Amino acid sequence: MKKLSLFLATLPALAAVFAFTSAQVWTIKETYSIQFSNSDVNGIFKKFTGSIDFDEANLATSKFNISIDVASINTGNGLQNKHAKGEEWFDAAKYPYIKYTSSKIEKTATGFKVSGQLEMKGVKKDLSFPFTFVKNGNGGTFNAEFSVNKNEYKVGKSGDSVGEIIKLKISIPVKK
Amino acid sequence: MFKKSLILGLISGILAGIASLVYAQIYNSALGTDFSTIAKPSGIIITCIISGLLAATGFYFSTRWFKHTGEIIFNLSFTILSFITIMGPFAAKLPLTMEMPELFPGLTVPMHFFPVLAWLTLKPLLFRPEKTPFYPA
Repeated sequence: MKKLSLFLATLPALAAVFAFTSAQVWTIKETYSIQFSNSDVNGIFKKFTGSIDFDEANLATSKFNISIDVASINTGNGLQNKHAKGEEWFDAAKYPYIKYTSSKIEKTATGFKVSGQLEMKGVKKDLSFPFTFVKNGNGGTFNAEFSVNKNEYKVGKSGDSVGEIIKLKISIPVKK
Repeated sequence: MFKKSLILGLISGILAGIASLVYAQIYNSALGTDFSTIAKPSGIIITCIISGLLAATGFYFSTRWFKHTGEIIFNLSFTILSFITIMGPFAAKLPLTMEMPELFPGLTVPMHFFPVLAWLTLKPLLFRPEKTPFYPA
């Protein structure tokens, strides 16, 4: 009985410690941008959802969970958009989302590095990329630039006219 | 003859421009699109007038070089050229901030035919066909 009382008494303290150590949950602002480009094609994804738990002082509990709506792709050309959503490319009907789930976030000399799994067109692969976080008052902006080999995810045909390396530029403004 | 052609080109160009603006207004209000930053009203009018004036020049020279078949060659060429130019809207790459680029050809492709339609509609008014005498059997 005494042990139970002691346990119950320490619960609020444990909860407080847990709350203090869990990463900050950020709300994604509408002004985000997800751009992709290579020498042959460029465009944006207009819609994405996700959760960003990030605390510079507590990277162990920080995590990203992002889901990009494939159907929201915009290359600026209607025919290209239709082609991109088609079976040969992203196959939006069968694979409506591109997902990224982080597993580890580390501090680097220039910012941070996130490691995790990227799922695109049903293919899951480990992907690490650098990013920065610039604080601005009650919010901040996450910026990342990295490349993905489209052939590894069976996006498009291998050896087609579009180069295999696609550069991604992501900017996600957030608020508390 | 050349002056008359130019007048026809100018009038048909203005008419095609007005028709294009009316069509754009109907299209945008019906489908909720707004491509006015790409296909600007002033640009549409100017393009239609230039098209009309080029057609006038083409008509003048084709009827001069080919006395009997000049008009047929010109009408055919004008229509085929109008048809070829529709590849432009399909290939156009709009700014990425522009919503629904797949609806852009639907707006601009019909506009590519308005100059030729205006020309063919107005031509009989300025260049009256020669009357062929009717000999009853």
